[in-house]
Amino acid sequence: MDDRSTDSDPVTAGESSILDTLGEDVIRIVSPVSLCMLLVVLLVSSVSSTNDLSSSISSLFLSSTTTPTSFSSLNLLLLGSDSTWEEIKSALVTALSFVVVVTLLTFLLVLLFYFRCTNFLRIYMGISSLFVLSFLGGFISLLLISHFKIPIDPFTFAILLFNLSVVGVFAVFMPKFPISMNQGYLVAIGVLTAYWFTMLPEWTTWALLIAMSLYDLAAVLLPIGPLRLLVELAMSRNEEIPALVYEARPVDPQPGDRVRVWRERTDVRIEATENSTNSATVQTVQETRLAVSEEITAPLIEAFPQTGDRHLGTEEEEDGIGLGSSGAIKLGLGDFIFYSVLVGRAAMYDYMTVYACYLAIMAGLGVTLLLLAVYRKALPALPVSIMLGVVFYLLTRVLLEVFVVQCSSNLLMF
Amino acid sequence: MRCRLDSLSLIVCLHLLSIDGDDDKGERSQIGDTMTVAAGVGYVLIALGPALSLFASVIAKKPFLILTLLSSTLFWLISLIILAGAWRAFLPVKSTELWPYSILILTSVGFQEGIRIGFWRLFKKMEDMLNAFADRVSKPRLFLTDKMQLALAGGLGHGLAHAVFFCLSLLTPAFGPATFYVDKCPSIPFFLISAIIALGFVIIHTFSMVIAFNGYTEGKRKDQIFVPFAHLIAALITLINLVPGGCNIGLPLLCIMAGTTLYYSWQLVWRRLTEHQTTRSSD
Repeated sequence: MDDRSTDSDPVTAGESSILDTLGEDVIRIVSPVSLCMLLVVLLVSSVSSTNDLSSSISSLFLSSTTTPTSFSSLNLLLLGSDSTWEEIKSALVTALSFVVVVTLLTFLLVLLFYFRCTNFLRIYMGISSLFVLSFLGGFISLLLISHFKIPIDPFTFAILLFNLSVVGVFAVFMPKFPISMNQGYLVAIGVLTAYWFTMLPEWTTWALLIAMSLYDLAAVLLPIGPLRLLVELAMSRNEEIPALVYEARPVDPQPGDRVRVWRERTDVRIEATENSTNSATVQTVQETRLAVSEEITAPLIEAFPQTGDRHLGTEEEEDGIGLGSSGAIKLGLGDFIFYSVLVGRAAMYDYMTVYACYLAIMAGLGVTLLLLAVYRKALPALPVSIMLGVVFYLLTRVLLEVFVVQCSSNLLMF
Repeated sequence: MRCRLDSLSLIVCLHLLSIDGDDDKGERSQIGDTMTVAAGVGYVLIALGPALSLFASVIAKKPFLILTLLSSTLFWLISLIILAGAWRAFLPVKSTELWPYSILILTSVGFQEGIRIGFWRLFKKMEDMLNAFADRVSKPRLFLTDKMQLALAGGLGHGLAHAVFFCLSLLTPAFGPATFYVDKCPSIPFFLISAIIALGFVIIHTFSMVIAFNGYTEGKRKDQIFVPFAHLIAALITLINLVPGGCNIGLPLLCIMAGTTLYYSWQLVWRRLTEHQTTRSSD
């Protein structure tokens, strides 16, 4: 038999196979993305608003004066009806204005990066991360408290909120903080922002997702794209791109593993802009490490925290499918947010769409990582996953639901 | 909560129940809340308990197996979408006759078993890639247990997808304060029936993948025939549920079928491993 000749000896004590450690890095990036999506789905399903009107009101309440969401919700309120065509029109207008604003601000970011204005950005970023964690976190906590009728007094709440936000700012801001807290707070920021985004009306959310993924594709791959310029600037100067990224480093390095030497850059750049652009870029680090770094956008809130990259290097080279490389994968927080927004919006319809969209996004992430391993240059992570997610959402809603409901309500399964 | 306008009155009823239950104005008894969340969680655990323990003990330890699980779940979902697309024009089936449903079952099972062969080819390619990679980093090639674990992960992915799409996605009203009974089966709540059926199918899918991969690798006809056969019989057993009162017979039969698959796979793996052990020690 052919198979016998390719079989190795059975596992004896102490022998390990490649299956033990292969794909570790991918799992370390898949888990926080899944956790973020799970938390957003739980939040959405427990505190969901019943119709678009109440969500418009809450977004009016939440957003500052001149944001596209308030414009679109104001539009809806004034029109008094949610006729589909009006909704689609306002959704397209909103999404387009969003993308335009994001493009302008990314160019501004490139300009600031070019002129090395780091201190200004650093201070601004600290203030904005505090704002996000305290105001947004406080609002969502209040929603949860009122929904679940948790008994808590205002003073305790204020103290807790203050403490948690300040620690959060330090966790994403300071370079020597424990990595688990950094990762935890980044996921928390992602959850809060994604939940906020799901409060938009439905058509607006979908238009926004598609527009952002197209923008991401253009900004990273076109020669005049702002993110490509940013990547080239950073590579020519041998600096990191300042961005809010999630590093999938292990929390405690295993002693039996290959020795990993983490080198930290001394000039950690911290940058914050009001509306930064979203893109996923894959950088080839000096020693052919593969890293996916992204910058996040938080366009419709006043400030959004961003922190500097930590540059990871290791001594070992490893050729491989890309899955086995011993560097950590870095994924920008914007991806977390938009994936979770898609899944959260799917949760507002039904759980079947949630599962289908989750699988689609994971597939898209896998495809992107594969392309990363093949092309080894800057690649956007958003388009593939979002497009697959939208396609699967439509297919599930149109085709699958009727089929499955028909079968299982008659207790027919296969 | 969303209210789906669906032609099946069952689903509208379920959603009305959940909408009523989710009213958070007024005073609802807290005990009533926790009881029903417990019921919902209970149904989830009935359907997915063995799958979760398999996951925690075997699959969670090796990251590559988790990836295999995710991709096989996606694979099963895609096959289900294709089936749904093919059948969309004929749904919803309004008659209560048996024959439209049996055609549905036959085509679906046939399609899925055909896809399984394609899945096995992909698996072989992946095995070759992994072996090439192992050679390059000078580590031992895939062991027999590795291959069986990969087959297990693949099967578990299929079973998980089945449980999620056929059972869990309809369980949302079970977390509310009421329950639901189907006309044809007035003795057991609907959620419990679907949870038990999902449990049976999780076991069948998981272990028939192990049997199928071993059968295709070794070329043994008996194993290759067993898997589609078992799947078909199990699916046809669920047809009994269409008859009023049929679920009292259908559920135990399905569990027997799941037990048979489990036993068969156990015997196969035992035989294979002891054979391998003896060939190795005789070298």
